[in-house]
Amino acid sequence: STTWHPPPEVTRIMVNHRVEKAKRECVVWAIALLSSGTVVSADSFGRVQFWDWQQGTLAESHTVSSSAALSLAVSEKEDSIVVGTSTGATYQLQLLPVKLGGLEKRWVRTKPFQYHSHDVRAVAHSPSALISGGTTLVIRPLMEKVQKKGYDAVLRKFTFPHRRLVSCARKARLLLFQFSQHLELWRLGSTEETGKDGEVLPLCRMPEHLVQLKSKGPEHIYCSCVSPCGTWLGYSTASRFHLYRVRCDGDGVSLRKVPKVPKLLPPAYQLQFSADSDSLFVASARGSVHVLQLLEPGGCKLLHIACGCSEAVYLLAPSADGHWLAAVSGDWAIHVYNLKCFKHHCVVPTYNCAVSALAIHPSTNNLVIAYSDQQLVEFSIPEKQYTGWSRALQSRGLHRAWLERDSPITHITFNPKNPAHILLHDTYLLCVLDKSLPLPDDSTLLMNQSTLKQLPETARKRQLHAFKICKKFQPLLFMDLLDENCLVVVERPIMDFKTQLPMPVQQKKFGT
Amino acid sequence: RWCPRGLRLPYLLCASGDFVKVYSVSTEETLRLMGGHADLVTGIQLNPHNHMQLYSSSLDGTIKLWDFMDGIPIKTFTVGSKLLALYAPASAEDSVFVVIPKKDTFQLVSVKLAKGAGQDLEAKELSVVLDGVGASMKHIAFGREGEYVVSVKDVNLQVYFFKRKLLNRFSLSTLKTKGGDNNFSCVVCHPTEDCIATGHADGKIRLWRNFHHRKEYTYSTLHWHHDIVMDLAFSVEGTRLLSGGVESVLVQWHNESSCQKDFLPRLGSPIEYISMSSDGALCCTLHTDNRITIINSNLRFSRSIQGLIKSRDVKTGLVVDPRTKALVLNGEPGHLQFYSLQSDQQLFSLDIVQRQYIHQAGLKQSDLVKVAFSARGTWLATVEESEEVTDPELQLKLWFYNEETQSFKLNTRINSPHDNHITDMCFRDMNELEEDSLILVTTGRDCVFKVWVMVEDTDPEGNVSWSCDFVGSYHNYQATNCCFSEDGSLLAVSFEETVTVWDSLTWDLKCTFCHPPGNIRNICFGRQTCSKYLIGATDYGFLCCWNLLTCALEWSAHLNVVVLQPDPLSEHIAAVSWLSKESSLFVFKPNEPRPIYIQRNLCKEKILLAAFVPRDEPEIISSEKYYWLRRSQLFFLTDTQELMTLSTKSLEERLTPSSKQLAVEESLPVTPFSLLLGKHRRQQAQEDTELGKPVVHNKQEQASPAVKELLHTPAHVLPSASFLCTIFINSLLISKENKSAEEIADEVEVESEKAEDDSDEEDVTEMEQEDTSHTELLGEMTCKLSKSQEKELRKIRKTDYSWISAF
Repeated sequence: STTWHPPPEVTRIMVNHRVEKAKRECVVWAIALLSSGTVVSADSFGRVQFWDWQQGTLAESHTVSSSAALSLAVSEKEDSIVVGTSTGATYQLQLLPVKLGGLEKRWVRTKPFQYHSHDVRAVAHSPSALISGGTTLVIRPLMEKVQKKGYDAVLRKFTFPHRRLVSCARKARLLLFQFSQHLELWRLGSTEETGKDGEVLPLCRMPEHLVQLKSKGPEHIYCSCVSPCGTWLGYSTASRFHLYRVRCDGDGVSLRKVPKVPKLLPPAYQLQFSADSDSLFVASARGSVHVLQLLEPGGCKLLHIACGCSEAVYLLAPSADGHWLAAVSGDWAIHVYNLKCFKHHCVVPTYNCAVSALAIHPSTNNLVIAYSDQQLVEFSIPEKQYTGWSRALQSRGLHRAWLERDSPITHITFNPKNPAHILLHDTYLLCVLDKSLPLPDDSTLLMNQSTLKQLPETARKRQLHAFKICKKFQPLLFMDLLDENCLVVVERPIMDFKTQLPMPVQQKKFGT
Repeated sequence: RWCPRGLRLPYLLCASGDFVKVYSVSTEETLRLMGGHADLVTGIQLNPHNHMQLYSSSLDGTIKLWDFMDGIPIKTFTVGSKLLALYAPASAEDSVFVVIPKKDTFQLVSVKLAKGAGQDLEAKELSVVLDGVGASMKHIAFGREGEYVVSVKDVNLQVYFFKRKLLNRFSLSTLKTKGGDNNFSCVVCHPTEDCIATGHADGKIRLWRNFHHRKEYTYSTLHWHHDIVMDLAFSVEGTRLLSGGVESVLVQWHNESSCQKDFLPRLGSPIEYISMSSDGALCCTLHTDNRITIINSNLRFSRSIQGLIKSRDVKTGLVVDPRTKALVLNGEPGHLQFYSLQSDQQLFSLDIVQRQYIHQAGLKQSDLVKVAFSARGTWLATVEESEEVTDPELQLKLWFYNEETQSFKLNTRINSPHDNHITDMCFRDMNELEEDSLILVTTGRDCVFKVWVMVEDTDPEGNVSWSCDFVGSYHNYQATNCCFSEDGSLLAVSFEETVTVWDSLTWDLKCTFCHPPGNIRNICFGRQTCSKYLIGATDYGFLCCWNLLTCALEWSAHLNVVVLQPDPLSEHIAAVSWLSKESSLFVFKPNEPRPIYIQRNLCKEKILLAAFVPRDEPEIISSEKYYWLRRSQLFFLTDTQELMTLSTKSLEERLTPSSKQLAVEESLPVTPFSLLLGKHRRQQAQEDTELGKPVVHNKQEQASPAVKELLHTPAHVLPSASFLCTIFINSLLISKENKSAEEIADEVEVESEKAEDDSDEEDVTEMEQEDTSHTELLGEMTCKLSKSQEKELRKIRKTDYSWISAF
């Protein structure tokens, strides 16, 4: 329970200075340093304390909660602090004048917020909002800082990470689910019957939980992938990368670890198998992409290291023909590599927003990119320029309802039957983008599928537009086309895992 | 109503009704009672520039400045409109702030207190500070050094900065989600910092800061109370905040932190007001049950000032403890209070229910509903029931007075004595008889009455306990009232429309009476000379008197009797009626259908209960009109739980010259009632002298041995009235013959002196006439007399006339 100023001088502050009645140990969970030289600490007694860093003396102490204060963030102006606690409550402390118009100011605990059910592990303070993260992420705008009522003044809550946690082996019809400490491999069920829209068909083969793979050690799994043929499986933790060979013999499934995996500089941010399952692309934190060749019966070797990115690569998209690979780095630059000659091909013009998903069209080799501000672009790799459709889309602008969505697109795929179809999804909707249809404008309804159904054929044709949206599955974790007739959708009801969570802190509730 | 805003050692000042009371903090005594306002005192504030002076405001539209050390008014400022609250911040040099009504809303105005020589001054210089404020004193607070004023109403808070002339308004959401209710209940300001504390209807306390910014204002929330926060108070330094509410717990918040708080629980009843002393050493809380608790700065209970405890509902009635002559009624929830009328203090509080009372709305809890004392006060019977309407949990408890511990000890507990609510309960009231003949009767809605007797236990110590001896019923009607005759030989039980009379030895049904339509509301036996009569009042507004010897209706009168109360020491019975929003008192003797005393318009409130409290010594009462108050004093309890009494003092004052009396009235602590009565009397006196009616004086029968014998023989052993009538009248005639001429002359003089007095009596008859005309209008007869009675009356009239003609 000490906090210190960087060497050469070390000031030791004993936070557990006061003798508590119960001899619990005091743990400082978070500290912050103010420009005035005040050290702010948040500890397990629920206190937020202000220390003079030179003297090591306590200036102020605020008991904000009866449970532990876990996280702490200071606003840029240093007049506001947000504290996260283990009960899921966050508190705001404000530096307020003691007398109106006076110079003397004091920290005062003001607003409590309860948006989480469990530990608030991390908090951040933007100029106009408090951001807190635990089991969910919440952005709470500060109403007094928001200039006008609108999109910015709305509380936003995110339950799932904006990352793909499911990967699919299309040919083998396997799904790999990534959990924090383990992986689960499932075989999809199937049916031989057909039915009408909305009908639930009887299964002739039940979905099957093939294998559960537990990660060794306390580290969380960072990324995972299963190869399209379903015979390779890879995952990476913060320190190690693991590759397995999956063997299906009859009903049983066995996993064999691939020996002598090339030591990679940790950590790998993204794994991606090539469409023919011959090679594996590993995106590293150092801004390079490692290309591994997979060998039968169970081995691999490092083929190439593609460089060029200045920051960590966090998204990869190989083309179906194995010719191209697109990689997104932390500075939001998209680099395209030629895999045939292991050459850097081009850089997509950088946009001032993070890339949330990208994919290369199997027939046209057009790179479709979704940005976190909901913008969509199509970039032709061979021609090294935006396509005409993309330019038309940019000039016309996207529908307002599309732009005001909270959740970014996390996965993009294509319809092999119709090359004009792009399939996109986020946590709340699934969209078929039909490039052959006209784009909607703000006056038309974006989500018009239910109204279209009621219209006669001729009127329906007039009302059609490019965005065909389905909101049936929520929250939607994953969607992919297995083949021309089959689409797999992974839905994860929140209550399923909320009920399994342990109680955050045992406390007596009034009236119970 | 009380509002202790300004506690100063060693005095506690408190507004109470039309008065301001000064208590000593160390002895809890009422040191001074400052009267002078003509209406309710709504606010008191210490003069910030002289702490020996006090401002008080009243609904009568005046502000008075008092020297409370001597209890004298220094100045009276007449504002003109009703004053609902008063504030005297130190920053205002020569003005105070008051809340006055303006159409349907209220406004805060500053009143410039004119400097003048005289005692009565006009204060007409008003300037409006805030519009649309709350009417309650708790809805406005002045900030640090009087720089700003805060007002709360509904979900809106407004702050007005005097120097900058800036008005900021803040609103909370009106939505009531998750049991929240943002309506403000009270507001206080931090004494040294710019911080406003507000209490809310859902129990939250909000601490507002930065409120000079319309946008960047902020507040933090403290939440412990589960129901409305009734009042808040900051300590002198502002480091501590006290809050109180319905939970009867005083909460002390340290440094505005929700984690550091102290509690002072079990204060007895909901907290209404909190006030800090100016030196911060003490604080006091005022409770809804009319009690002040003084609390140390370290949150320890110090002492309490309490008179008559106001309970939620007086179900027990007014009962007099024969031992202490104290008034006994519901006190704290589940307790019985013994209230001493002489000292205006609670003697003690007896815990009957013996269960923790939880202060929460909607919770069904047990409470005391009936109480009865045996004649000598050695036994006490109590009935408690839960608030369930359909299936009440009943308990009958019998308590024995322990001489050693000087308190009641539980002797017998009977679970479910009846299957439904117990409606009445009485002991057989016999002073002379042995203890073991003590009988308790309870009546219930389960259509039976039960007789409980003492039985000796089988254990060697020979303790006694109570058990049921007899169960009586009548045609399966609900039993509503019961009472024993004075000698204990007869028991009357009313069953809805019927009164049944039972022999208390054999439990045989002797006779029944009824006066349809309408259920019997009250019954009582006449006492002493009138013990052969049974009086009953019905729902349909009839007061009936039945003769137990002839088993016939003696007389009846059309009167909506709410309370029927016999005097235990005389034959007088007091009946209180409730008609067209006023209560009237009638005192009568059962043997005379004409009341001996009528007091119309006794008060505007409905009188629910009455009790005769025996005087320690019979008072010498000069006026015949109040002769019935000689041995007992009559007390009333209204539906607002105000205890009132009839005072004979005002009569004496009335006999003194009016100018002198006015002076006396001003200086004497007169009760509101006596004032009222005084006014009324004066008015009547004027009317009467104008009318100049002939004087008829009825000389009261003097101590003739025949009459004495007649009056002091118990009713049930007397021969019939028709037989006695001639003897009675003859005895009167003899007295006439004995008078000498001198005596007659004297009497005439006395008569002229007492003209006023007699004219009052004339007034009574006049009112009686009014009454008859009134009832005739309603199509009812006032008196229904039997033929024999009419004959008797005619006889008496004849003799009367001859007697007067002899003069």
